[in-house]
Amino acid sequence: MHYMFDEEHVDQGVLKELRSIVGEKNATAAKHVRFAYSYDMSFVQPKMPDYVVMAQTVEEIQGILRLANKEKIPVIPFTAGTNIGGLCIPERGGILLDLKRMNKIIDIDTESHYAVIEPGVSHGQLAEALYKHKLRFGWPVGPPSASVASCAISHGIGGLNARYGLNSQEITSMEVVLPTGELVRVGSCAIQENAWHSVLPMPQLDGLFKGWLGSTGVVTKLGIGVHPIPPVLKVFTVSCSTVEDMYSYMLNLSNYEICDDLTAVSWWLAQVPIPYPYRPKPDGAPEWFSFANTNSFTEKEKEARVEIWETVVEEETKKGTSIKVTQYPEEALRARTQLPSQIVGSTKNYCKMAGAGISWPGTFTPAKKWAPVYNRWKEILINANLSPSVRMSMYRGVHYGMLRAMIPFNKQNPDDVENARRAIVDCLKADLDEGGLPYKPPVDFAEQINQRAHPGYLMLLKRVKSMLDPNDIMNPGKLGI
Amino acid sequence: MKWNIPSLKDLERYYWRCTACGTCRTAYNYGPPPVAKPICPAGTEFGFEGFYSSKGKAAFARGLAAGVLTFDDPEFLEAVYKCTVCAGCQHQCQVDFKPYIPEVIEAMRREAVNAGAGPMPLQKNLIQSMKNYNNPYQGPRRVRTDWTRPFKKAKKPIKDINKEHAPILFYVGCTGAFNTAARAVPTATASIFQKLGLDFGILGENEVCCGSTAMRVGDAEEFKRVASANLETFKKLHEERGVNRIITSCAGCYRAIKKDYVLATDYNEMMEGIEVIHTAAFIHRLLKDKELAFSKELPWRITYHDPCHTGRHLNTFIVDKDGSQLWEGAYVDMDESDCLYDEPREVLQAIPGVELVEMERIRGNSYCCGGGGGVMTGFGEWAKKNASLRIQEGMETGADKMVSICPFCHYNLNEGAKSIGSDIRLVDLVEMVDQALGG
Ligand SMILES: Cc1cc2nc3c(=O)[nH]c(=O)nc-3n(C[C@H](O)[C@H](O)[C@H](O)COP(=O)(O)OP(=O)(O)OC[C@H]3O[C@@H](n4cnc5c(N)ncnc54)[C@H](O)[C@@H]3O)c2cc1C
Ligand code: SF4
Ligand code: SF4
Repeated sequence: MHYMFDEEHVDQGVLKELRSIVGEKNATAAKHVRFAYSYDMSFVQPKMPDYVVMAQTVEEIQGILRLANKEKIPVIPFTAGTNIGGLCIPERGGILLDLKRMNKIIDIDTESHYAVIEPGVSHGQLAEALYKHKLRFGWPVGPPSASVASCAISHGIGGLNARYGLNSQEITSMEVVLPTGELVRVGSCAIQENAWHSVLPMPQLDGLFKGWLGSTGVVTKLGIGVHPIPPVLKVFTVSCSTVEDMYSYMLNLSNYEICDDLTAVSWWLAQVPIPYPYRPKPDGAPEWFSFANTNSFTEKEKEARVEIWETVVEEETKKGTSIKVTQYPEEALRARTQLPSQIVGSTKNYCKMAGAGISWPGTFTPAKKWAPVYNRWKEILINANLSPSVRMSMYRGVHYGMLRAMIPFNKQNPDDVENARRAIVDCLKADLDEGGLPYKPPVDFAEQINQRAHPGYLMLLKRVKSMLDPNDIMNPGKLGI
Repeated sequence: MKWNIPSLKDLERYYWRCTACGTCRTAYNYGPPPVAKPICPAGTEFGFEGFYSSKGKAAFARGLAAGVLTFDDPEFLEAVYKCTVCAGCQHQCQVDFKPYIPEVIEAMRREAVNAGAGPMPLQKNLIQSMKNYNNPYQGPRRVRTDWTRPFKKAKKPIKDINKEHAPILFYVGCTGAFNTAARAVPTATASIFQKLGLDFGILGENEVCCGSTAMRVGDAEEFKRVASANLETFKKLHEERGVNRIITSCAGCYRAIKKDYVLATDYNEMMEGIEVIHTAAFIHRLLKDKELAFSKELPWRITYHDPCHTGRHLNTFIVDKDGSQLWEGAYVDMDESDCLYDEPREVLQAIPGVELVEMERIRGNSYCCGGGGGVMTGFGEWAKKNASLRIQEGMETGADKMVSICPFCHYNLNEGAKSIGSDIRLVDLVEMVDQALGG
């Protein structure tokens, strides 16, 4: 990794004002602190913020944004920085707004099944609190310390996606500070202070703050739907030798909508850790494994799911596909069923072997395009001596699918980083060409998206952005516009 | 004596393995029920990344290596010392950096000392005191045995092992000897040993600091000086006084002898025939062998605080050194069998009347008392504040006392309790055992 830091822009006057807003101890321009925010695990080139500020109240955030807007200083919202896309790396310096201390769980409505949280609430923290009421949320396979809100507003994915859709689809209401400092609300809480149950049937203004990578405002409170924990877990695992066969099985099973999570991983991703550099799959080993997590309230309900699953397997076998009922590697299964997970969260299976770097082409790709894209990815990645460690998941029945390669690389060696970056961007291009779309995209990806975008879309995007953020201070550059 | 103490450069490939995932920030257990609480005292207090856990320490190490950060910057120097080296972060991490995390933190401090910048001013007094008095408390030699006076008075003098034979050396440690509040620890230990009729002795005025604090604040030279002296003394005591067991009630001394002294190339030869054991483990062994029985009831509701130095600092990390299992330098697994988690709890539960109620963060996930890594000396007020957080956690269990097996925790947690006006008191396991033995 190279550290090529631009000359510094620290203005003592600005620092003083920031300190007057958040208190002496909560704003700094100390180099060692800024340095610690200059990089993440991705291939994105490190860059330093000029100030780091830790806010704890909505009023403080309003004060910071008013100041930043007046002075035209960029503001980058940050909670844990684990997004895998360099999304919190400041493209143009500015104020790194660390929100991890805004970590209050404001409400858990155990009757209406929603929770209201501040942005710094972590998955681990919420899991602990919800479990006391036997409630759950769609925990990602990411670090327990990462923020629930950041994940949800970034269209993050979790363990209940086959059933309920993306984590952003769980959002019920929002409170946001605009780049100009005004406080706004969207969803039911906009009409009644303490009603956080739904964004519908109103105009969906929550869309102004979802998927924007922190470039339209700072979310200060978020309502999310939570769900009961059905006590009976049954995981169905199969393996097969081709991506086409796996797709066929998943499509079939998905049509019954019985799973919380329906995922398949290539042999390389099923390994803990992913092999680095590329290692051929041993002869005879299946190329694909799938786990289908189901949760039932009663044994009888589980039996009904078993019956459906058995029918699907039988049908797929009859079709002559290579689907076989199998055991999924134990540690890998634990990592994906016991969420939030320390095993994956701590990047053990993703990049332990490579050395500190991970990036992805993480995309939503129509499931019917998985097979051609995967086959293309395999070529690109193996050519770059990287493992085709790919995951495919069905979301909300068969409505859309996730296709992602988790690519580890050695971050200590700049050539290895560049090799991975190039291969990953090539994979992304191949996917975009088939109609896929990356989520949480690094700037390299955003540029690719924009190149293909309808002019009307880009025009609208820019217009909305400049309406909300006239001075382009919020996480500037991240959307590639 | 030669020592294998790694430099920051030696550890470069390991801190480069940190992925910046931040898992190290949370004391996490899947459960169910899940537990997810803060684990890093520094992060809890100072908040900014960099201060937070091993992710921050890896960032500092990389910044140092790249020349972006230097110890000329006093704020950076201080940040490197604002860590209790509690290894809480290490317990969470799962990648190849894991086995080396406290080592990287201390190696940065060694760099700071070598650069003439570290340690912190108050810690410099501590090092000077080690040089002048062989202890970090500026305590004159003769004060080291003050705690033994009641034994003399009661006509139960403690053997001076410099002069007499005994199979057991009770290595008292400086905190127990010099810190008046923590003196209850050696007193109770010696009392237990006498009640059990053990043949043991102490080095008394000739005891030299174990060197733990010097090592924690990065003064490897001072550590080596005292540690070498101790190893030579231990060998001599084995040969000339028949010592075959060293028992200590101090978590810091225990950790130093078990984990730091092994960095001496001739450790095995020097320690041949000598077992090193913490009092808690020793009592546990006697209890299991039915050589000890409690006669008095202690109707206390207690909670147990795992000291870092008898807990996760004693993890053994299995590392693939030559690449034959996974790859060279791979972290393979963690073995907790040397950690004293069960022993003190089993001893406590064997005391009639005692009710043990657990805090949420225990064992490997235990939250540090907040005084380790030189923080008690360097940043006293912060150490107290840390301790008060742990005390509050203890209070939430409804316990009326907190028990530990470390004189550092004893002092610091009591300070923390006082600072928030809590009624909870920290007692050492040996104090309870001594009382429960009656007589
Ligand atoms: C090993 C590993 C596995 C992962 N697996 C998954 C997975 O399965 N599913 C998944 O979705 N993610 C996954 N992630 C990515 C990431 O961990 C999650 O999305 C996480 O929830 C992001 O939280 P964070 O606190 O790190 O966000 P950050 O990285 O701090 O922020 C993410 C984005 O949100 C913006 N932002 C942050 N806070 C606010 C706010 N209050 N208002 C406005 N904008 C804001 C930031 O500017 C940034 O653009 C994984 C990461 C790792 C390291
Ligand atoms: S030290 Fe370990 S757990 Fe912490 S950020 Fe680095 S890799 Fe993750
Ligand atoms: S050793 Fe303890 S105090 Fe230091 S960084 Fe790790 S968790 Fe924090």
